[in-house]
Amino acid sequence: MELNIDLNAFLANISLLSLIAIIGISLYGILARPNIIKKIIALTIFTDAANLLAILVGFRAPPSQPPVLLTIKPSPEELQSFSQVAVDPLPQALVLTAVVIGMAVNLLIIFIALQVYRLYGTLDVRRIRRLKG
Amino acid sequence: MFTNITVGLVPPLLIASAFLLPIFTLAIKRKSFYDVYALLTSGIALVITAYNYYLVTYVVKGPIVYKFGGWPPPVGIVYEVDALSAYFGLMISAIMFLVSIYSIWYLRGRGGYEWYYTLLLGLEAGMIGCVYTGDAFNLFVMIEVLSVAAYGLVVFYRTSHEAVEAGMKYSLIGATATTIYFIALVFIYGSFGTLNMADIALKSRGGSYFPFSGSVVGNIHLATAIALALSMWTFTFKAAVVPNHFWLPDAHPAAPTPISAVLSGLVVKVGVYSIIRFTYTLFGMDSLSPIANSVNVIMKLLMLLGALSALTASALMIVQRDIKRLIAYSTIMHVGLIVMGASLGTSIGIEAALYHALNHAIGKALLFLSAGVLINVAMSRDIDAISGVGRYLPLTTFTLIAAILSLEGLPPFAGFFSKLLLYQAFIDSGLIVLAMVLIISSAFALLAYIKLLYGVYFKLPIKELKKVKEEAIYLIPLLTLTALLVILGVTAPAFVSQVLKPISQELLNPMNYIKAAEEVARVISR
Repeated sequence: MELNIDLNAFLANISLLSLIAIIGISLYGILARPNIIKKIIALTIFTDAANLLAILVGFRAPPSQPPVLLTIKPSPEELQSFSQVAVDPLPQALVLTAVVIGMAVNLLIIFIALQVYRLYGTLDVRRIRRLKG
Repeated sequence: MFTNITVGLVPPLLIASAFLLPIFTLAIKRKSFYDVYALLTSGIALVITAYNYYLVTYVVKGPIVYKFGGWPPPVGIVYEVDALSAYFGLMISAIMFLVSIYSIWYLRGRGGYEWYYTLLLGLEAGMIGCVYTGDAFNLFVMIEVLSVAAYGLVVFYRTSHEAVEAGMKYSLIGATATTIYFIALVFIYGSFGTLNMADIALKSRGGSYFPFSGSVVGNIHLATAIALALSMWTFTFKAAVVPNHFWLPDAHPAAPTPISAVLSGLVVKVGVYSIIRFTYTLFGMDSLSPIANSVNVIMKLLMLLGALSALTASALMIVQRDIKRLIAYSTIMHVGLIVMGASLGTSIGIEAALYHALNHAIGKALLFLSAGVLINVAMSRDIDAISGVGRYLPLTTFTLIAAILSLEGLPPFAGFFSKLLLYQAFIDSGLIVLAMVLIISSAFALLAYIKLLYGVYFKLPIKELKKVKEEAIYLIPLLTLTALLVILGVTAPAFVSQVLKPISQELLNPMNYIKAAEEVARVISR
């Protein structure tokens, strides 16, 4: 018996569904976990899931090749065939930018968390709320 | 086609000067150097944004496009300044300039002024970048620039329990919100194949040809609905519309007073700007009908949320004992009113919303800055502890009263005319309920303001204070803002017809915005 499944579409669907699940779980982590460090970990998972989603949009089923032209002055035919196989580089550029920005923001949030720990002696938001009182 | 270097200059200039500033700390310790540095930089930004406003409204009479690195619009990042961007840009840089004058006084005797100015310039760069950009992804980058500076400024007093706790809440949920906007961008890019605002606007209206740009992929109606819903979550978070307002009453009072003025007066306006840009220019009522339907649903929801914000925040204002917290709740109320006006979809609604946005920015900055002087004398933010301090500071109390009267809406001041215009816009759209919300929330706010005024001026001081001398350095920004409120109020009809009418016309006919970018691309593709 031959399996009549488009493998690429199947994999794309699997990754899309798992990404949506990860987004849901990480949002739960950010909103519901009491520990600030665990909230920050959930936040990094959330940004990574968003970045993977962007990479998935730039996915091109094989035959595909990196968007690099090897000839200096390509002929129109070469350009035509190149555009049939080249991967869209823009999502990767977006993800690079988002990763760098995300790192800076995460670092700042971690510093604030450190300061919270120094002042309150705990990272549990329930106890912080009580101590603020 | 008109392109000008001044359009692309402001955010890079401000970011460069912000990053250059820490290098000076190796050699120079004097505070006055940093005062002059920040004043000079924000002064240059003010001159350039004013020049841009002049160009857009009187010379070009249409959007100006600036290409970064010479790349044409859908390929590279462009800055596109139309009347709306120029209006917000001038408002931001003018108030930032006055705030940096005030900061000279505020930072006297406090440490960390070099980092304060670095973050202040970064904040200004982010805000002006947000309103000037013509690229949806660049808007994300600029929101992050703005947000990082804002988080840093909220926790500026890093040994204060309140500031650190508020900053934690603000930064954690803020980072989540901007990531949600990134997901919205993924949906937009996946279906429209572009991130240029003019290109998206053209494609959402069924237009076909934009040079260098492909065609749409898949179901753009569904993708637009998802992207709009996600991005509105982010923008309402930035604008502090109920139910995304929870961070504001903690974060704004915890920051240093000049920063409270900027956060309350301007940063929330960036959220309002983005809402207007997305629901009028990118996707609008004149888009393809399924997209127009989802825009319509979003508008109705915004109207409801705006009304809820106005009512909840004004009711909560009454019970506040902390003067800065009271003013912060008033911000939520006014943003609710602005969002209600902007979500009507009529030209008078846009004009009223934009006019109220300007008046609220000036009035709220003035209120925070004059309250800061009182707090500094009383050494407390409790309204009871401040009681009677106003008697020692007659001019500051005068500006405080002017700000309160303008925000509450009394005739000589500009706030009256913008509330009147909002009222008229609601009546014209046949929504009596919204007009009632406006009146009820103003009535609630009046109670809170009377409590504030009675405490500050009419009650007897709880302790005898030494004679306080008012200083010119903070009276200059305070009196300038008061004068602006009066001038804007006196010239209200001319202001609406000369300044706001072109903006609302441009927003309701986005083809000008699209054509300006398209022409730039076409000239290069030839």
